[in-house]
Amino acid sequence: MAYLENSMSADKQKAYEGLNKIGRGAYGTVYKAKDKQTGNDVALKKVCVPLDEDGIPMSTLREIALLRQLNSHDHPNIVKLLDICHGQQVGQDLVMFLVFEHIEQDLATYIEKNPKGFSTLQIRQLSRDILNGVDFLHSNRVIHRDLKPQNLLVTYDGHVKLADFGLAKTYDFDMKLTSVVVTLWYRAPEVLLGLSYATPVDIWSIGCIIVELYSLKPIFCGSSEGDQLSKIFRLLGKPAKHEWPEENTSIKWNSFDVINQITLGQFCPYICETAQDLIMGMLTFDPNKRMTALDALNHKYFKEEPINT
Amino acid sequence: MPGWYYDKKELRSTPSSQDGIDYKTEMRYRKEGARLIIDTGSKMDLGYNTMATGVVYYHRFYMFHSFKQFPRYVTACCCLFLAGKVEETPKKCKDIIKTARSLLTDQKFATFGEDPKEEVMTLERILLQTIKFDLQVEHPYQYLLKYAKCLKGDKVKLQKMVQMAWTFVNDSLCTTLALQWEPEIIAVALMYLAGKLSKFEVVDWIGRTSKHIRWWDMFVEDVTMELLEDICHQVLDLYSQTDANNTPDSPPLQSQKATNQPPPVSTQRSSNGNEKVVSPDQPPPVNVKVPPPSSDVPPFPYQTFTGAPPPVASYATPFAAPMGAPPVVAAPPHLTGPPPGPPPHITAPPPTVFSQYVNHPPPFTAVVPPGAPPFFSANAPPPNQPHRPYYPPPT
Repeated sequence: MAYLENSMSADKQKAYEGLNKIGRGAYGTVYKAKDKQTGNDVALKKVCVPLDEDGIPMSTLREIALLRQLNSHDHPNIVKLLDICHGQQVGQDLVMFLVFEHIEQDLATYIEKNPKGFSTLQIRQLSRDILNGVDFLHSNRVIHRDLKPQNLLVTYDGHVKLADFGLAKTYDFDMKLTSVVVTLWYRAPEVLLGLSYATPVDIWSIGCIIVELYSLKPIFCGSSEGDQLSKIFRLLGKPAKHEWPEENTSIKWNSFDVINQITLGQFCPYICETAQDLIMGMLTFDPNKRMTALDALNHKYFKEEPINT
Repeated sequence: MPGWYYDKKELRSTPSSQDGIDYKTEMRYRKEGARLIIDTGSKMDLGYNTMATGVVYYHRFYMFHSFKQFPRYVTACCCLFLAGKVEETPKKCKDIIKTARSLLTDQKFATFGEDPKEEVMTLERILLQTIKFDLQVEHPYQYLLKYAKCLKGDKVKLQKMVQMAWTFVNDSLCTTLALQWEPEIIAVALMYLAGKLSKFEVVDWIGRTSKHIRWWDMFVEDVTMELLEDICHQVLDLYSQTDANNTPDSPPLQSQKATNQPPPVSTQRSSNGNEKVVSPDQPPPVNVKVPPPSSDVPPFPYQTFTGAPPPVASYATPFAAPMGAPPVVAAPPHLTGPPPGPPPHITAPPPTVFSQYVNHPPPFTAVVPPGAPPFFSANAPPPNQPHRPYYPPPT
């Protein structure tokens, strides 16, 4: 039967041509290619799936099933998964390609390309797109876990689509293999503290990203978990002792001294009060008190006429 | 990404048919593979969803590949193996093979080759690719339960109807219905069928509005009676597969001759000749709005797929308050084996066709008297028993 398999995966690979490496994402290597049938550009994400004695691990299958399932909803703020194909088996790994629609730029590039900044209307539009996508994921019990401008894609008409989610387990495995430096800047405190976490981590990241849409630079640029936390506390203030998680964490409450405290308004004067209220609701230390995506979408920020456009 | 629904023409021009396998044979192969998945799954205590998912993979697989190229029992094992992982009820590949082996003749098992595990594991990747990693599959069961909750009327009758519909859903896995219609529609159709056969007429339901003529108008749109009838017939045809004349509603499906022979390797049942027609106590459901051709199909020519060897009468346990009265309609004795004791009752399709499945739902109490004769014997042979000829109802 092996011969059949090989000839089939060869067929598959012929369907896409021109593999150009365009980056190393969370999953591993990303290639840009052309779908020969449609002529469209696609992004091929190469994922190495470790095979165990019982074939493809259940966790990987579950995740792929979920990706396919999510995809079937055709959500406007989620990048489209077009195909999945597997390639060769390399040692104990099975190489798989996830074929996504190719979107030229990510939010990081989009921000770079707009040094003069965005209008309030644009920011609101972008924020709403991100929240809509995340709300969709959360209502399907998916946590993105790694929201950042690099994996938010911006379409030519200025809409955001979320990418790189749903393969948390596969992705963890991959991270060990690829030496991708994972940015801490958008990480929620509970993640930095090594605690258990849930959907609120994504809201934290969105809070950071919305600030960045105003300020054009990341708000918390830590170089280590501890440093990241101390940057966060400059804005939030150090949480009271009783707010510090009881769960075991390697980082102790009394290891922080907050100096040079700033407010959001000082960090970025262009943020109107309504937006500040929204952002601070998202940048709440206690994940249980943090806003949900749905709360955020119902915030008056998205309902009011913008003040300065 | 591709849709997974096909029309009847497409179902007749499959890779197998292009490979020279006639339609009837292909349908038998599909049924046999589905049976193996269900029987193996039941034996391993897998849930009904896992088995149903495996069967759907199986049917989809053969929309792209020929039965000549991929032996059906290997594929069946592989589908169950994959479904186990996807439904979070994983079983070891080697255990699945071992269980399947116990259900197959040596000759059939020979298709697994020298290294059965390797064969199944390699096929896993081909299977994944073929079904395009579309792993999450919905089944009619959940809709059946959901719809049932909305129906008003006699509780006992309702339970009986749901139980019967559940069995029809189980059996529908052996048809290609899952390749034709969404699970919602199959659920409606088979509830409709069960309602007719169990004389449970739904007159009122929760959430009814003036727009609704039928209860299912609440859930599915544009479902015609023709469609429902057609679905019902495809399931009923399983029980009377040897006689095409009686099912003109789904015409091209059957060739005229009743020559449904077991495959060469299968074990033949000797009991087959002993059957006789027992007149039903009640007329076929003529007053139901089934068009003439179909009115002679129901209820008695019911052949359970009891090739499965689940523990005898294991079905009786899951039900809290079994209904006392034995079923009403007497029926021809059963195919699958010389019925122990009195002729089996065919009334309702036994809720037990796949014992495993029945363990499940159960907000509903029993339909089967605990003392009812088992519908099958524990050592009944696997799938391939010949079909009982169809006996038309007395006129």
